[in-house]
Amino acid sequence: MSKPSLIRYAILLALIALWFLVTAMEWVKPIQLPPPAGLWAAWQADGSRFLDAFALTAAEIAVAILIAWPLGIGVGAVFGSLRAVSAVASAILGSLFAVPAIILYPLFIAWVGMGPESKVLFGVIAGFFPIALNTLSGVRQVDESYVTMARAMGASRLQVFYRVVLRLALPSVISGLRIGTALIMISVVVSEMLASFGGLGYMIAYHRTMFDTGHVYLGILMALLTVLTVNWLLSMLESHFSKWQERGADL
Amino acid sequence: MSSEVIRVENLSKVYSTREGDFHALDKLSFAIEEGGFVSIVGPSGCGKSTLLQLLTGLLEPTSGQVLIDGIEVRKPLPEKTGVMFQDATLLPWLTAEENVAFPLSLCGTDKKESQRRARDLLKLVGLGDFINHRPAELSGGMRQRVAIARGLVRDPRILLMDEPFAALDEQTRFKMGEELLWIWQETRKTILFITHGLTEAIYLSDTVLVMGTKPGRIIEVIPVDLPRPRTFEMISSEFFGKARNRIWKLIQEEAEA
Amino acid sequence: MRLSVLLGAQTGFFLLLAIVWESISRLELADPRLLPSFLTVLGVLGDLLTQRDFLMDLGITGLEVGVAFIIAAPLGVSIGFLLGEKLFLGQILSPMFHFMLSVPQSIFLPIFMLLLGIGFLEKVVFGVTHAIFVIIVTTTAAVRTVPRDYVTVARTFGATPRQIYLRVYLPAMLPVVMTGLRLGMIFNIIGVLLAEMDASRAGIGRRLFSWGEGFQLDLLLAGILLVSALTIIINEVMRYCEHRAARGHVA
Repeated sequence: MSKPSLIRYAILLALIALWFLVTAMEWVKPIQLPPPAGLWAAWQADGSRFLDAFALTAAEIAVAILIAWPLGIGVGAVFGSLRAVSAVASAILGSLFAVPAIILYPLFIAWVGMGPESKVLFGVIAGFFPIALNTLSGVRQVDESYVTMARAMGASRLQVFYRVVLRLALPSVISGLRIGTALIMISVVVSEMLASFGGLGYMIAYHRTMFDTGHVYLGILMALLTVLTVNWLLSMLESHFSKWQERGADL
Repeated sequence: MSSEVIRVENLSKVYSTREGDFHALDKLSFAIEEGGFVSIVGPSGCGKSTLLQLLTGLLEPTSGQVLIDGIEVRKPLPEKTGVMFQDATLLPWLTAEENVAFPLSLCGTDKKESQRRARDLLKLVGLGDFINHRPAELSGGMRQRVAIARGLVRDPRILLMDEPFAALDEQTRFKMGEELLWIWQETRKTILFITHGLTEAIYLSDTVLVMGTKPGRIIEVIPVDLPRPRTFEMISSEFFGKARNRIWKLIQEEAEA
Repeated sequence: MRLSVLLGAQTGFFLLLAIVWESISRLELADPRLLPSFLTVLGVLGDLLTQRDFLMDLGITGLEVGVAFIIAAPLGVSIGFLLGEKLFLGQILSPMFHFMLSVPQSIFLPIFMLLLGIGFLEKVVFGVTHAIFVIIVTTTAAVRTVPRDYVTVARTFGATPRQIYLRVYLPAMLPVVMTGLRLGMIFNIIGVLLAEMDASRAGIGRRLFSWGEGFQLDLLLAGILLVSALTIIINEVMRYCEHRAARGHVA
């Protein structure tokens, strides 16, 4: 292992040790930061409720992904390949992306209620923009000479699009999926925290008002691990599909 | 009767721009016989690339026509013409073999058969040991060889080449020219070769067409009466020097005009 | 010229959106309680902007966002610069900051509430943590984009370290740093609004959320319009500065 990464692990260990220390010495109130044992106690007391909440959150996330991925890729691909409008579409999507999606959430609650639907809707909106934007710019940046080549080789327009353009844009599309999916997951959990009757976010928010700090930290830890795991899986996918690019850059 | 595979008749291409019509090509006419090797040289902006796009059927002419095997070209005819560009445009995620087979996969050729053809062609261009390499693992010259093999994979009678070696260094470029002549001799294809390099044009071709600019047109046809196979020594021959100077002068005059 | 075309197209898009919205209401395609007409909402917005306590709320949010940015921007740029320059430190810490950037900070909100209580300080700190990592990471990346040759050339002309920093590094890095600052600002706004929505006594986020809960959709939509417009303007202005800074740069 290299020296810098060794030091990084040391820093991580030191932080965990610090957690044990400050809670054991009661330098902070347990109501602000529970000892590690507090999380374990919360799990023992309410583990199955946490798992149920996790299942609901995961289901909401899955539905949002199933909608946002094809929608984002579709819109991005279409507008990216229409050369005449792609610059304008990119600017519009870019400025819409700057609007904090969170302000729409109260509207969604009013429209579809506090149930899972509003979470899914919010997740879709949050995830859509980075996916569409990245797909669009990926498709736009495809070198025109590849299109010329494929057409000269007798490829139909559809073949040019599927077999050349979309494939060349793939690394960019996947990086959009990574960012978009992270946003979907965060948005679902956060919207559960703001207003809901179930899910991990609900568990976190509910127990915060009860000052069950162990529960709060456990819920956050579970949400964090979920996001990081999915993020890690997608970045593996990303590096798999951009391998040829990196190697190209080495030359 | 001599068999003309390419026939260009009164070919014109006009682009309308804000400043008015721009005549990229004006009434071009020439013919290339089967198995010929013809180069086109000319100053920048003389419409060489437009000509190539018209020959491949990627562009439609404003007037006049391009005939290949007596058929008017209106869209790409990959079974008749193979194309190669300055940039190899190999698909980076495919191996050399898959890249060569790419045009076959577009028209649904049997996979085994495509593979066999791709391998044979890679051997022909001297890349038999690199069939499973990806473009990023190949040198610039090797990538152009793969592109040549890809241009030949549908067994077209014609190979159109748009400054194929322009991005290579001088040595590789010369070697690629030798290689190309050998492949040409082996396969008996008709080659139309667009280039900036005068030496390259004369060295490789039977005929050099010199183009003028504004509007793009052919200003002179220079036959290269040098025996084949060509050798490096011929470059310093009197004929070669004269031809080179003649073309140089023509292009200079055009560029200044 | 090109910029004005884009700006025109963007304005056109939003105008079109407004027309579609108004037509939906005029044609009675939607329940006016769920979607009041655009002109109604515009009128409500006009009223809101004359109300003292609404402007106070807007001011509080603006203050939180502003203070958070004033803290995060210089701090983030300095840390990022140090990490980019001092190579060993950068090797240790850069991956950690990259990681922090991929961590969903929003779900840590309950921890901020537990540690800092609910109020101005909590909002500002939450905004700072949202903004700072992206600023650090882009600044570090910006330092690495400065070609070594520039520095070497400056040295051979006898430039002092101070001159090298101010006249070589700073201008060469500026465009990328500006991008980081813009993204930091967007994240900062998201953080502050989220914190206000979840729990607070003041601020525009609180307003939006209670309007949603109270089904006051005309007020809610007016608020959404205002916040969207403000964030889009902030984003576009910062993007314009980015373009200005990038003038004369090659890549």
